[in-house]
Amino acid sequence: MTQAQAEDTRVDWEAALVQRACTGDTRAFERLYREHAGRVYGLCLRMTRDTHLAEDCTQETFINAWRALPRFETRSSLSTWLHRIAVNVSLATRRKASPVAPSLDDEAGTGGACEWTLETPVEVREIEAAIGALPEGARDALVLHALYGYSHGEAAQMLGVAEGTCKAQLHRARRLLRERLNVEVG
Amino acid sequence: MGFSRLAAAMTVLFASAAASASGDKTFERQVPAEAHGVVDISNVSGTVVVSGWDRPQVSVRAELGEGVERVDVSTDHGRTTVKVVLPHSGHGGEADLHVQVPKDSELTVSAVSADVTTAGVTGVQRLNTVSGDITAELAGSDLELKSVSGNVKLKGHGQPARLHVSTVSGDVHLEHGAGDLEAGTVSGTLVVSLDSARSVRARSTSGDVHFEGNLARGADFDATSVSGDLNVRASAESGYAYEVSTFSGEISNCFDATPSEHGHLPGHTLQGTRGDGAGHLRLKTMSGDVQLCDRK
Amino acid sequence: MSGSGSADERKVSSLRELSPAIEPPRDLWPQIEARINAQRRSAPAAQPRPARALPPRWLAAAALVASVAVGVWIGRSLLPAARSGSDVESARSASRASFAGAPTALDVAYVSDPRYQRDRAALMKSLQARLAALPPAARAKVMASLAALQRAKEDLESALGKDPGNALLQELLVNTYQDEMRVLTDVQASDAGRGI
Repeated sequence: MTQAQAEDTRVDWEAALVQRACTGDTRAFERLYREHAGRVYGLCLRMTRDTHLAEDCTQETFINAWRALPRFETRSSLSTWLHRIAVNVSLATRRKASPVAPSLDDEAGTGGACEWTLETPVEVREIEAAIGALPEGARDALVLHALYGYSHGEAAQMLGVAEGTCKAQLHRARRLLRERLNVEVG
Repeated sequence: MGFSRLAAAMTVLFASAAASASGDKTFERQVPAEAHGVVDISNVSGTVVVSGWDRPQVSVRAELGEGVERVDVSTDHGRTTVKVVLPHSGHGGEADLHVQVPKDSELTVSAVSADVTTAGVTGVQRLNTVSGDITAELAGSDLELKSVSGNVKLKGHGQPARLHVSTVSGDVHLEHGAGDLEAGTVSGTLVVSLDSARSVRARSTSGDVHFEGNLARGADFDATSVSGDLNVRASAESGYAYEVSTFSGEISNCFDATPSEHGHLPGHTLQGTRGDGAGHLRLKTMSGDVQLCDRK
Repeated sequence: MSGSGSADERKVSSLRELSPAIEPPRDLWPQIEARINAQRRSAPAAQPRPARALPPRWLAAAALVASVAVGVWIGRSLLPAARSGSDVESARSASRASFAGAPTALDVAYVSDPRYQRDRAALMKSLQARLAALPPAARAKVMASLAALQRAKEDLESALGKDPGNALLQELLVNTYQDEMRVLTDVQASDAGRGI
């Protein structure tokens, strides 16, 4: 089976599970949860920086998804849809935890095309710590764009900011990572 | 569809002779049936043997014991119903039914203490007994099976399907299954062998769970028991991540991995990855012991 | 952030090599499922889903899981030491089956939801008649299973008393309540007398 065929098979299987879940089949929804829980939790954890909050956000994401499932269009990506919900939940959770929004510095530079390659290899633990230390806006944009592979436009839409702001945040993230890790980030 | 409309619909009723006062009697009927139709069979006591064939007919042969009033065979809009009728008063009798159905039929069998056997049926099967044992051949279609205290034996041929098996105290033996399995028992024993498992959810209260099989890529395996033991021998081409938790049971494994304790709190956990870790395997008990090994 | 030691020590040359997925430290599904069932029970009209083609007894059992799960987590803050003896006794007597030989302590002391208690009491009321109608061997097996469920509940509740935050025990206890309801409804649905 080619990779494209495998992907088609996976999507068909997922669409079948969504359809069953829409009829109230919680077992089918559990299968979807098992498939996507890791990526949703990873997103929540990197955005909230707290394991308990990340657990709460993950649960809230799937409960909201269950409610909204009948409105989900199966031709879209379930993964992206879940991540949108997870981002909204994580942002709301953070706002509740610290109501004063951090100021959005205007960075010079547009954060143009960047492959996020590191001049020298760095330990995963160190990179994750560096990402965790970024200011919220920069971190959110970096996680969605560099780790989850969303375009500037998609990441901006998820975060509720202008695409230009998202690019600026990415530029800021790149600069701060370079300073922290002491390697060139290209 | 309301009862009056059902009554007015095209119903062809073939009824047997009235029950004789004493002695066994035989019953035979054949009715036309759709290749992908529905067949409903019910029998309180005795046996039900169902086999699939290539003819567009349902054939019923029965040995009726004393106390059985009659066998009703009816067909309506693609649904064939076979029902052993007992008198409303007095003691019920036993009937041994042998029913041949189009092999792609959707089959439902309901029994109380009658033992149920199916073979050669490739359509969806729904089999329910209270205390009767169930023996069924799997052929790639979904199976829903429920028994209170009857024992269950299922034999597949490695074709993926969705299997849902539930007993209260009956044991379940499944060999050469594949696909998605949900199996639950309170005090029965689950012995499961799957050629390829996509998802498995096994649950018991005090019964033991034995699983041997191959996990498909990205498979999801979940087994829980309160006091029953879990014994899992799994192989997976793409590996799996495992998480074993028990409150007061023992964890043993074939990987030389050491379970970790929870500080001053009771409980042990064992976590790790086999191969690429594409699948997920979770084993949880309160006091049951857990053993996890590779399938040889 | 969590992650296995060996995975964190690996080196990467690009942020794109980082794995987006991080497995939660514990299984979150039981709580998600419990909240979903609680929502379905409290607002069935709001769910724009077609009805499932399930026998009514399974729909009833599924709806009860929500109240059981809520009761269990309420029960966490009502540990035996904190409850008065009279509260426990009245809860016990309300749920006690009144036939000889049956488990007498199918105890719903932790489950205070009135709808759960009412539905369970109705099932318990017909349990004796249903059990009596079963063949003797089947009846003995079912009663042994009910006893196993009762022992499981007692053991789990006792263990939770020592470690109330233990998610594993909570999950197993909810499973056990679900399984008890399944057994009661399965026995209720069996008709040993007059055919099916």
